Amino acid sequence: MAAARRLKRVVASQPGFVSLKSSHTSDTVSTRRKRVNKNKKKNWNKHSDINDVEGFLEDVRLQERTTGGLLSEKSDESLFFLDVGQPNKAEQKAPEPVEGKKRKGKQSRPLRIDLILQHDSLVSPPKDVLAYQQPNAKKLRRIAQKAEQLAAKGVVPRRQKRLQNTQPVVRTAKKAVTEANNNPDRGYYDLWGQETKESGNSWYLQQTGKKLVKRPEKLNEKPSVLPAVEVIAPGGSYNPDFFSHQALLQKAHEVEVKKQKEEDKIEKKLVVNKEDTATEETIFREQVEGLVEEENEEETAPNEEEEDQTGAIALAGKKTERQRKKEKAEKIKDQQRLAGRRQTEHRQQLFQLRSIKTSIKQQEQKTKAKQKLRKAKQEAQKAQPRRLGRLKFQPQDMEIQLSDELAGSLRQLKPEGSVLKDRFKSLQKRNLIEPRERAKFKRRHKLKYVEKRAFREIT
Amino acid sequence: MGGLQKKKFERGSATNYITRNKARKKLQLSLPDFRRLCILKGIYPHEPKHKKKVNKGSTAPRTFYLLKDIRFLLHEPIVRKFRDYKVFVRKLKKAYGKSELSAVERLRENKPAYKLDHIIKERYPTFIDALRDIDDALCMCFLFSTFARTGKCHVQTIQLCRRLTVEWMNYVITCRALRKVFLSIKGIYYQAEVMGQLITWLVPYQFSHDHPTDVDYRVMATFTELYTTLLGFVNFRIYHSLNLVYPPKLDSKAEPEKKEVNEEDYAMNSESYLEKLSALSASLARVVSSAEEEEAQLDQFPVEGEDMEKMEAREKEQKELEAQKKLFEGLKFFLNREVPRESLAFVIRCFGGEVSWDKSVCIGGTYEVTDETISHQIVDRPNVDKQYINRYYIQPQWIYDCVNSKILLPVEDYFIGVSLPPHLSPFVEEKEGDYVPPEKLKIVALQRGEKTGHEHEEEEDEDNEEEEEEEDDEEEEEAEEKNLKKMEEQRSQGKSLQVKVTPGKMKVENPARLEQEEKAEEKRLAIMMMKKKEKYLYDKIMFGKKRKIREANKLAAKRKAHDDAEKSKKKPRK
Repeated sequence: MAAARRLKRVVASQPGFVSLKSSHTSDTVSTRRKRVNKNKKKNWNKHSDINDVEGFLEDVRLQERTTGGLLSEKSDESLFFLDVGQPNKAEQKAPEPVEGKKRKGKQSRPLRIDLILQHDSLVSPPKDVLAYQQPNAKKLRRIAQKAEQLAAKGVVPRRQKRLQNTQPVVRTAKKAVTEANNNPDRGYYDLWGQETKESGNSWYLQQTGKKLVKRPEKLNEKPSVLPAVEVIAPGGSYNPDFFSHQALLQKAHEVEVKKQKEEDKIEKKLVVNKEDTATEETIFREQVEGLVEEENEEETAPNEEEEDQTGAIALAGKKTERQRKKEKAEKIKDQQRLAGRRQTEHRQQLFQLRSIKTSIKQQEQKTKAKQKLRKAKQEAQKAQPRRLGRLKFQPQDMEIQLSDELAGSLRQLKPEGSVLKDRFKSLQKRNLIEPRERAKFKRRHKLKYVEKRAFREIT
Repeated sequence: MGGLQKKKFERGSATNYITRNKARKKLQLSLPDFRRLCILKGIYPHEPKHKKKVNKGSTAPRTFYLLKDIRFLLHEPIVRKFRDYKVFVRKLKKAYGKSELSAVERLRENKPAYKLDHIIKERYPTFIDALRDIDDALCMCFLFSTFARTGKCHVQTIQLCRRLTVEWMNYVITCRALRKVFLSIKGIYYQAEVMGQLITWLVPYQFSHDHPTDVDYRVMATFTELYTTLLGFVNFRIYHSLNLVYPPKLDSKAEPEKKEVNEEDYAMNSESYLEKLSALSASLARVVSSAEEEEAQLDQFPVEGEDMEKMEAREKEQKELEAQKKLFEGLKFFLNREVPRESLAFVIRCFGGEVSWDKSVCIGGTYEVTDETISHQIVDRPNVDKQYINRYYIQPQWIYDCVNSKILLPVEDYFIGVSLPPHLSPFVEEKEGDYVPPEKLKIVALQRGEKTGHEHEEEEDEDNEEEEEEEDDEEEEEAEEKNLKKMEEQRSQGKSLQVKVTPGKMKVENPARLEQEEKAEEKRLAIMMMKKKEKYLYDKIMFGKKRKIREANKLAAKRKAHDDAEKSKKKPRK
């Protein structure tokens, strides 16, 4: 830059320089000089007059911008031309209609705003050197050269060699995703045989979720002591022994009777008392109520008032000093008497040791018996289905076949009940799943029934 | 005093439990997904002891889980898969809605799936744990394998269940592990002993499904998902314990000539192998092909503190077991079309019998009806047109009864058209003094090796006599006690005893009788020496026993009356 500036200054100082602006000479007007210390750099900048230089440089830039160089260096031919008057009209008019046909109206003319924004300087923008520079260009060039040399010799670089050596990727291998669990041809292996080896730091594996969290021991306990498969009673045989069959029937009967009783109980509660039902008479009385004046009421009313008066509490008078003293003495006496009795009782207990002992023993026995009972109850509870949700466990109906339903042979046997339901209920009974109702479908909007026209026409 | 006031429900049981909904929110899962996760991981709801405390003062019935359990669930990798699946479904729906078929295809290819292997390993740390819990798995798989492929559950699940159950049955056949069978009105109960564990499972009869509506199929399918994985791994293990190839292969060397020509008639090529396996008629291939199964006699080591009697009893038991395993060996069965083929083939093969069936019933029949060497033909119809002389025509119940009684029962009661004896449950074990049906007594007698013509009445009589004898003994005791009491009374009253001299009699000493008397005397003395408390207990026990015997006698008498009535009814008919 500095070199360029210098050059320009040199040019300006030459006598042949033509300035574009006429205001060049205006700086010389200020004749008065300020006195300033010049031993400080700050003051150099502040008080030295550089307007002339600035103005000159501005001019140079303007020239460069508008004409593409200094006017003084331009040749005469480029600055002047010979004026020979208006150009030929025929020449001008000929191309116009063609253009007019091509573009329709003003649309194809560039917008004014675009024209304003157009780059109109004749100085080309400075070149960004960095954009053309390549880092490590020299090194890369050298490497490329070397590679060329090697290629000419027939030596394959290591990287390429490695690539060539790798196995070709099998397309199908990518598709070997985990197969579905219920794939009928799935394979199995010895799950318990091999010990899984830990590869790598255990802390790392734990933190990255690659190691499974240990299952708490308590989870391996079963929630019920019942066996998985409860074998049906011997009466449930397809060709049962008479008595075991009867026993099973009896049991089923008892269950049924119990159910019936429950139902009856509810029904009994729901029965309407006959006296509560409205008869014609009661209805009539209700309707008439308040309309007919009854004399009885009037008679009874004053009586109540009298009772009220008698029922009021008569206020007790104030106790006298004497009375109070007497009461106090009595109270103390009473207390003394009670204390004395307690003491004698205490003393007497020495002679009741035996009976006390027996009573203690009895108590202990009682508690022990209670403990035993409680324990037994707890044990029994273990086999019971628990209350795990909104619904209680409902045991399924017992599978039975009446005597006349029993088949004589295996061929004629009609299976009773459903194994699926049995399994499902067994899972519920063993507290593995909570009893649940099937979710009911709820319609958000009411259905609207419309007769189709075709249908309506027929009917 | 001082200090902050304690807030309610911030410590104690209220903090140990979490409601289902809260747990669900904590895991960010929908309710079905949460339920599925709980089932797979084996985390069950828990009933708190004090509901009101846990429920923050409310008594509304809610489902609670232990908070620690739910925290444990947070670590489960499957949870993420569930979320992935949710997103997958959403994307798929969207793609369908926009009818972008290529997107649908791409999504389907990348459908998220998960494995349950690690859960099985976690829930059943050892193989025996898994084997103990296999009952449920077997029941469920057998149940699902009988489902019709009508869209109640995935067809693939049904196929997988079928495959696993067939594998299991083949294993039971190979190691002859079956012990008991019971035909009930609900289904068939089987019990097998695998590696010392008694395993019971229930198989529904074929074609007996009406799908009940109050069963949650989703829950059942989830259980099945878990159980198929479990059963698969167990199958693998038990197959390898017997040196069998897994997945099972039929032993092609042994019977190469049995190749069916028209296999295509039965099933497609892809399915025919499973079908042949499920026919249960051929033995399985082994890894190490041993010509003869060397049956090394186990050495017996008497455990210390175990006396000889116990050991002998054990030995005897083992011998019986060995005999039971070879129950049908050497017998050749033919199944008619009307009998349940799979069950019968399974049971017969489990005890070493050979079995075949008509070509039109199923693949894998090994010989024809016309085979002269057939010893038993199983028939379940009133009459058969063409009968061979050298074979028994029996009803299917014979097979099951033989298995349960561990001996070959006389075939006469099971001929065609004969009304069958009752099919007794082998799962009932009578205690002393219980009522035992006469049929069972008969079987017990046969087991003992008694050969009797009209056993059961005699048996009953004998039993009665025995009981009577017992009663007699007790009566005698009582009489003696009375005598003694009388004498004491007399003594206390100061009366001199009446003394008389009578000519002596020669006593015939019966050593057995003497011994008995001595024993009775000892017993009586022991009773006398008892403390009051013990005596009371003893009396109570004895009373209970007597009552039981009385009831059993009553039932027996009732039965006799019933039988007599039946007989008298039958006679006029004849």
